[in-house]
Amino acid sequence: MIAYLQNIAVLFCINAILALTLNFIMGYAGIYSLAHTIFFGIGAYTAAYLALHVTDSLLVCMFAAASLSAVISMALALPALRVRGEYFVAASLGLQVIGVTIFAEWKSVTGGLGGMIGIPRPNLFGYVFNDDSAFLGLCVVTLLAVLGIIALLVRGSFGRSLMAIRDSESAAQAYGKHVNAVKTLSVAVSSGLAAIAGVLYAFYMSFINVEGFTLEISILLMAMVIIGGTGTLFGPVAGAALLMTLPAALTYLPFLPPSELGAIQQIVYGVVMVLLMMFRPGGLVGGRSKEKSA
Amino acid sequence: MNIEQATQAGDRFTTQQKILLQIRGVNKNFGGLQAISDVTLDLPAGVITTLVGPNGAGKTTLFNLITGHLVPTSGSVHWLGQLLNGIEPWKIARMGIARTFQDLRLFSQMTVEENVMTVMERSSWLWQSGRAAVEKRVTEVLHETALIDKRKERAVDLAYAERKFLSLARIMASEAKLWLLDEPASGLDPRSFDRFVTLLRDYASRGITICIIEHNLDIVIQLSDRVAFLDQGKLLAQGSSQDILKDPHLAAIYFGDHA
Repeated sequence: MIAYLQNIAVLFCINAILALTLNFIMGYAGIYSLAHTIFFGIGAYTAAYLALHVTDSLLVCMFAAASLSAVISMALALPALRVRGEYFVAASLGLQVIGVTIFAEWKSVTGGLGGMIGIPRPNLFGYVFNDDSAFLGLCVVTLLAVLGIIALLVRGSFGRSLMAIRDSESAAQAYGKHVNAVKTLSVAVSSGLAAIAGVLYAFYMSFINVEGFTLEISILLMAMVIIGGTGTLFGPVAGAALLMTLPAALTYLPFLPPSELGAIQQIVYGVVMVLLMMFRPGGLVGGRSKEKSA
Repeated sequence: MNIEQATQAGDRFTTQQKILLQIRGVNKNFGGLQAISDVTLDLPAGVITTLVGPNGAGKTTLFNLITGHLVPTSGSVHWLGQLLNGIEPWKIARMGIARTFQDLRLFSQMTVEENVMTVMERSSWLWQSGRAAVEKRVTEVLHETALIDKRKERAVDLAYAERKFLSLARIMASEAKLWLLDEPASGLDPRSFDRFVTLLRDYASRGITICIIEHNLDIVIQLSDRVAFLDQGKLLAQGSSQDILKDPHLAAIYFGDHA
């Protein structure tokens, strides 16, 4: 039972980091990316490759994964500088499809469809996180660190620049904002931190393949952000908590037939999302993200 | 200021003021449409110039050409002797030219305070120093525009006149030397209007150069040191507000009587 809850808690931390970093570009910069899972994947594959072939050092893996992801995120930044709104959503969808194909086909590095197995637990200054409780501690600390970094950024001048660009790009330019630089940097920060979640995921699961990085996950992350509250600091964490615990909670309802659980979960997801958007359009934590109707 | 004083002020600029912005023979075509046609205009330091003319005369297009949001098809715009053609809007803004928009374009989901603060934060990097000085100036500007009690409210939740003043507060905080104001006084009640005129006069007297697009001729007379009249992309006349407004030909164009 404890192991089961620990498992949920670890996956919650990983998803919360992803939702937080997605919200950083979605809620604050207005960049609605459907390719966020790709940077999660880049982090996971980088960590898996390094751990299997080079080093199991946690810090090395995190640094390498974040740097590589930030560099590759320029592929996302490029369309983000040129198109907005629904056009960018379509462009990011293209990037997601390309990313998944590369994960599935680049066999020498990613292991192809079979993925990578036997990823060892990471090592931090000689301590190996073999114990699941210790690993959960690592995930919580990482989540808090990411939350702290994002809080500092969005409450500071960079966050204000991002929001100004989101609310009116032309006015932001007219007041001296270097829109391209700010957007590019925000995408790099978001993607770099998303890769950190990927590192944790690869080390925790000890097995990864392309199934963990599909479009469906990208959409789920976007749902976490919207349900929690786009453009709020804690909203994505609340959204991740709800969507990660909902399936687990449903399994404890005695009157639900186990064979139908999957379908019921999907229906409950759908109903919750529709009701939330109808009655709390700003999300669970929201308040700022809804325009006055008048 | 009465008409006589306005005329004197209008005469004053031609002899004494340094020219900050020079527009020389500027044309702007959109496909087959000539939006701006051979416009030559100077904006002298510390002078309030008003652009008047019927809708579609090219007034806002002229602003866009100065701020880099549009690039002239031909001709040149010089700011303090430097050619602006082709320079990106954010760089032109950092050179000391700022504008407001007719549709305001406030940062609607941000608070009043954040709207003003962010125009003072020019760094593209993850953080910037000097927050205390920024906060001090923001407080000053919010006092001047009577928005200090609303500092924590979102821009989208403000009343119309307050939104107009927030638009003005942003440009005040931007430390620009040239303000381009696109219909800043439209829709203001008399008390707000008086405060607006006082603010503008105050900043002009501190050396800020101001160019306004305005339709209300009472406002034009009260505010302007000089007036430039545009129609169908051409600069038809410039001079004191009295000279321009008493010209029957221009009045006929302005009031739609082309016959």
